[in-house]
Amino acid sequence: MLKYCICVSTVCLVAAVVSRAADQRRCTVIYDGVATEVGAPSEGSNDLWVTMNDLKNATRFVVKPQGVCRDELCFPLPKSRKAEFISKKGAVTWFNLSAFATLVKQPTVHDEKNGVWYFGKREDERGTYLASLKAPNFTLPDVNGKMHSLSDYRGKKVLLVTWASW
Amino acid sequence: MPGWQKFYHDINDKNFEIISIAQDTGGAKDAAPWINAAKPEYTALIDDKHLVTQLYNMVNVPTAVWINEKGMIVRPNEVAYVDNRYKAMHLIDAGPYLDAIRDWVANGDRSAFVMSEQEVKERLKPPSPERATADAEFALAEYLYKNGKGADAIAHFKEAQRLDPDNWNYKRQAWALSDAEKDYGTSFMKEVQKLNGRPYYEPRKLREPKKQ
Repeated sequence: MLKYCICVSTVCLVAAVVSRAADQRRCTVIYDGVATEVGAPSEGSNDLWVTMNDLKNATRFVVKPQGVCRDELCFPLPKSRKAEFISKKGAVTWFNLSAFATLVKQPTVHDEKNGVWYFGKREDERGTYLASLKAPNFTLPDVNGKMHSLSDYRGKKVLLVTWASW
Repeated sequence: MPGWQKFYHDINDKNFEIISIAQDTGGAKDAAPWINAAKPEYTALIDDKHLVTQLYNMVNVPTAVWINEKGMIVRPNEVAYVDNRYKAMHLIDAGPYLDAIRDWVANGDRSAFVMSEQEVKERLKPPSPERATADAEFALAEYLYKNGKGADAIAHFKEAQRLDPDNWNYKRQAWALSDAEKDYGTSFMKEVQKLNGRPYYEPRKLREPKKQ
């Protein structure tokens, strides 16, 4: 049976009470480099279940009839395995974010002690430049905090050179 | 950095830009003193999440990429020293590389040092399947470190190093945030000695031998 951890949303708190949360803890999801607090349950497995609200807040993905979607992107869930991804407990529907990551070949690592989950780059996002040879864009600050993107320099030759203080 | 500043100043071509990027988890705290001392006229950015290391599958510094006016890679990752300060260690003479850049600035895509798409593709190595997980472990470790959980970060830095063992950025950055001897049982100099003559940098090949 699922035991839900403390989280910020009212819906999730209700779920926590309903399911007699014993192993309550806060969880942090880092997705696309952005950290979001979520109310993920701890059920003694290595999976991370989040509410539909938290799924949207943390990842911008939403579950639709055609699959798990964000903007134009949609990943269908295998019909026969739907229960692995979606679980309805009382009034709350939970989504297995770590199982979804495995489905879309997204490396997922986590720190058990601090309840932090990091979702890396999906397979379809990795190394796309190897075929196109288009230099991957980035946006980073200078010493004054002003942001610069590689794409700002289109029309010039750019020598990109890395260094480090260490 | 003072070397790149002089090089850039001397080239003085409005269609050529150097974008130097510090790969430093400590961000401006660690990188800004060097940048402020060099007073670069070129673009000096700070990357406190090692994003460029990940995006371009880099494994050490200094690493350079040539990008043409259309935003295409015309020379992929290679070692890029601007002077011979550390030549005794890596035996790489900076001179021919700087001449190659000057040739590129002067001649653009006609430069003999600009590679064809096929040559670039032959040099670009697809990252290992483990690299993506190593990147995630490193990023998780950085997050923990920056949130006051430095001790908990170590296991994840170690895992990143295990998954991508040739990645010196992931080793040296982690060691620099720690007492490397105590937390990792090693040091940069010890690891260099372990190379036992194997090169620290992938040997630089400025021009591919002409195909028959």
